[in-house]
Amino acid sequence: MDFSFQEALSKIFHSTGLIAIAPGQGVMIVISLVLVYLAIWKKFEPLLLLPIGFGCLLANLPLSMMANTNEGGLFNFFYFGVRHEILPPLIFLGVGALTDFGPLLANPSTLMLGAAAQIGVYTTLIGAVALGFNLQEAAAIGIIGGADGPTSIFLAAKLAPHLLGPIAVAAYSYMSLVPMIQPPIMRLLTTEKERAVKMEQLKPISPTVKIIFPIASTLVIVLMLPGVAPLMGMFMLGNLFRESGVTARLHETSQTHLINIVTILLALAVGSSMTAETFLTSDTIKIIVLGLLAFCMATAGGVLFGKIMYITSGGKVNPLIGSAGVSAVPMAARVSQKVGQETNKTNFLLMHAMGPNVAGVIGSAVAAGVFLSLFGSGDAGSGHAAVETLKTVTASLGQ
Amino acid sequence: MSLIIESIQVSILAMGVIFLVLGILIGVIRALVHFLPYSAPPAPASRARAPVAPASATGAVPEEDHVAAIHAALAHHLGKVPQDLHIVNITDY
Repeated sequence: MDFSFQEALSKIFHSTGLIAIAPGQGVMIVISLVLVYLAIWKKFEPLLLLPIGFGCLLANLPLSMMANTNEGGLFNFFYFGVRHEILPPLIFLGVGALTDFGPLLANPSTLMLGAAAQIGVYTTLIGAVALGFNLQEAAAIGIIGGADGPTSIFLAAKLAPHLLGPIAVAAYSYMSLVPMIQPPIMRLLTTEKERAVKMEQLKPISPTVKIIFPIASTLVIVLMLPGVAPLMGMFMLGNLFRESGVTARLHETSQTHLINIVTILLALAVGSSMTAETFLTSDTIKIIVLGLLAFCMATAGGVLFGKIMYITSGGKVNPLIGSAGVSAVPMAARVSQKVGQETNKTNFLLMHAMGPNVAGVIGSAVAAGVFLSLFGSGDAGSGHAAVETLKTVTASLGQ
Repeated sequence: MSLIIESIQVSILAMGVIFLVLGILIGVIRALVHFLPYSAPPAPASRARAPVAPASATGAVPEEDHVAAIHAALAHHLGKVPQDLHIVNITDY
């Protein structure tokens, strides 16, 4: 075999990504670097935006085979965990292990604030439909208003996988912007007198109630909305690890190492879905705008319901805790505390806001469950055994 | 237009389901709290009398932990926020 230095050099040059890079990939590389910048220097949800940004960078480097669609590529395997609803429920296991339901159990009516904040999901659903998305896509976009990253990813992967990248980025970006988005809305919708309300100290809760609650709520929610079983089941199992007191090792693992490992896999898988073909579309811009609408409406819904509770309780409920119903644990609760203290420095709303905050997690998962019950058919739900069973039962009933 | 109307119907239905599910959960929690009320853990068995802390120049001053515990218990008993109370004097009998 003849060896020509010039030919070899040319061959090496043509095998590099430099020659294969497309303009769209160039733009996506810039976007990925912006995400990395926001994560590192602006501290925008760094635990998620950093791996998402870097995953996006790798996926858009030509010939790297790192996009989620590259069969046999590394991120194709990671994406398997998203497509087959493995990773988001595992994140929920860790979140459950980190969650204290005490404030919610002490003041169960705050669950209604978590429900009211879901109004953001549905106004965004209507907005998305008005902008030309179909109902499945609109549902996946609307759930951004639940301010719950894993739930958004879970639902997008099932109902609109082609929109997963922009939905995840919008969800996590706006979650990091909660301290900026919420306060103006909270101040606008409440009076100074309402913001100054001091709430009664929460009652202590029996440890037995804390153990039974995750089991009972799993039974209630999953029996009513079976599609959400992977999320709620893992969430409540994680909490049971915490409250049972007999699984210290599992609790410790769930809330630390497991959630960290799964976060890396999930974020990289999401980043790898952000290719030029799927991300550089007008839909992405619409999703970013709708995501902001979702967060604003969710905050407004929570605060307005908080005002209703303020009136019905005879002024005992501070409406500011309603904004925490958007989920985004615990940042939204901290915002309630901060805005409350602006009016009255001796006011401590944090623990009171943790009730609706946790209720928001349950509320957004329930909202996702409702969407799955309504739209989880065809390809979107084909990976779910329960949906397949439901289809069989429905078909047999129809015969 | 029909899709928008459909989305509004979906929204109303879904919000109804969410309020229903969470309403049921509220009922479950109330039932649990009613039938399994909180009872304070039994006080630890009395130990041998601890050595008395040296009194300050102004007399016997209780330790900060004791004051904090009394503060919290009193606030809970009176149904007030701890910040509303300010203990100025504790008399030792």
